[in-house]
Amino acid sequence: MFQNFRLSMAWLHTWFGLFLGFVLMVVFFFGALSVFDREIDRWAIPATRFEPQPMPSFDKLLRPVFDDMQPLDDARAAMRGQVDGPLPERFETVTRLGAYTTHRDPVLGLFVGYEVPNAKEKDTAIFALRTVDPRDGTALPDDRLKIGSGFFYPLHYSLTFEWKNLGYWIVGFAALMMLVALVTGVIMHRKIFRELFTFRPKKSTQRSMLDMHNLTGVVALPFHFFFAFTGLVIFAGIYFPVTHTQLEALHDKHERVEALETGLPHERAGVAAPLASVDAMVAEAQRRWAAKGMAGDVGFLGVQFPGDANGYVSIYRAGTDRIALTGEGIHFKASTGALLREDPPPTVVARINEFLTGLHLQHFRHWLLRWLYVLGGLSGCACIATGFLFFVEKRKRQHAKQGSAGARVVDALAVTTVTGMVVAALGMLVANRLLPDAMPAGWPWRGDMEKYCFWAVWALAAAHAVWRTAPVAEGRLAPAWREQCLAIAVLGVLAPVLNWVTTGDHLLRTVAEGYWPVAGADLFMLAGAAIALLAARRLQRRAVAPVPVKAAAMEANHA
Amino acid sequence: MAALTSSRFHIASRTAAAMLGGYAFTWGVIAFATAALFAAGMEFHDAEHLSYILGFLVFLVAFLMAFAASSLVKAWLVLAGGGTALTLGATLLQTQLV
Repeated sequence: MFQNFRLSMAWLHTWFGLFLGFVLMVVFFFGALSVFDREIDRWAIPATRFEPQPMPSFDKLLRPVFDDMQPLDDARAAMRGQVDGPLPERFETVTRLGAYTTHRDPVLGLFVGYEVPNAKEKDTAIFALRTVDPRDGTALPDDRLKIGSGFFYPLHYSLTFEWKNLGYWIVGFAALMMLVALVTGVIMHRKIFRELFTFRPKKSTQRSMLDMHNLTGVVALPFHFFFAFTGLVIFAGIYFPVTHTQLEALHDKHERVEALETGLPHERAGVAAPLASVDAMVAEAQRRWAAKGMAGDVGFLGVQFPGDANGYVSIYRAGTDRIALTGEGIHFKASTGALLREDPPPTVVARINEFLTGLHLQHFRHWLLRWLYVLGGLSGCACIATGFLFFVEKRKRQHAKQGSAGARVVDALAVTTVTGMVVAALGMLVANRLLPDAMPAGWPWRGDMEKYCFWAVWALAAAHAVWRTAPVAEGRLAPAWREQCLAIAVLGVLAPVLNWVTTGDHLLRTVAEGYWPVAGADLFMLAGAAIALLAARRLQRRAVAPVPVKAAAMEANHA
Repeated sequence: MAALTSSRFHIASRTAAAMLGGYAFTWGVIAFATAALFAAGMEFHDAEHLSYILGFLVFLVAFLMAFAASSLVKAWLVLAGGGTALTLGATLLQTQLV
């Protein structure tokens, strides 16, 4: 099909890079934002703007909250199809419950999983979720959306298309294509070292776009490769459910052996038993971590089969002091508090796996590294965006002559996924500050309204992109880019201003108090607005400048 | 693209070989490696994780090979045939182990 190896690799790079690039743009951008997901949560939910808290007392504070938690209407509605007959008014038998926090969380996320009577499949559980203030146990209203950890973050790995896990599969394939694009990109550009130092911004748009594409791709190559790769490894169980299908017999056998070896019961005993003091177990776990010289903050606390004689309590460490996603779990018998098991030191393979997943999920406490992650993610966005622009610049005059709409379509999609996505994210934050505190009766929840605003703004941006890329069909620059940059500049100032007006937390105050979650979000948006304004002005200048003639004949052997 | 000399069908078939053939081959590798490493005495989840890590690298190489291979028939044979053989091997191993 192709004349030679390099041309086949170039074809692969161009076309798979183009089609999956639109997905990768979303993945990289919202991945970069997810590095500060907890901080975005604080911006979006002003009631939670206080310092991160340690895991509170289970016995005094959490236990009554857990007892009170029942699945909400959305969970009940989702469960209806999986059950023969009606759902009970109240779920009684708890399979497991837990609390999860990180060193950046002022509020505490809780879950309770209940056994579902008459479920069609065994081991079906229905979950009750709640977020509480760990200082007094009061619940955050259920209609609030944690925009960072509850929306931008899942957008990053599943596009929030939950149906049949479709979003995960699209993102997974895009990640594989990112790896393919990196390898084929290196094959295409043999002079990779020289390209590391080549950037000619004053040359034609096409040439400088290619330089920028190579620069951002090559400088952050290890970052891009590692993140696409570890992302695949994290969700490997979804993409290749080998041990839950073909090798299920082997898996089940191992589970039974493991339950024997670890002494952690696999099944409920069916005999009621009380729950001993969990606080005493936490103290014992912390004593054991301290003896190993490890930071002793509790990250995850879970109870399996509470109220049953086989129940046990698992306490995991928040791995703030290393890259690897560790837990050093310690397990106690729930009814007596006796130590059941201390997780042994991880094996070599487990350590590799913990390192790969930990590197991606960054539970560590290291602010400089977090910012480098953001820069890495944004450089990925720049690499993909310049790839789109190079594709369009290279073809638009030829397409204009042939009367083909190809370049225009790609440009419209590029505008939608590059600037349109930023407009949508900012539009969501603006909506977050403008919507009433509680939606009137009959309206969707406040958090759902915010999501609808995000998608609506993005759809508007897409419509605008289609409309205002018409000049590309004549070989000219699309005004859509400049106009959406202006929209970013306006929204990027509007959101911090609205934050000031609605909460009183203006930048002078947040910076003076050193409250960086909100100050950082505001400053990041203002910086984005400034860059967008600069970009809009340069595009304006270019739009009135005469079109260079020779550009179409350049670099024919590329892509 | 000047380099493109053959039909749309050929491109579709290459793409299918890379995606579906690559997936089948990777499935086979992961299944067989998990079963074989477990049989060789490795802890089950270790065997599983190591197979996943290797598996995605295999998928990457398989995908590239499907486009680089001079003969499309050969690419299909290796990917689909190899994937099937490895998958069968994994099931055979499992029956010995359980």
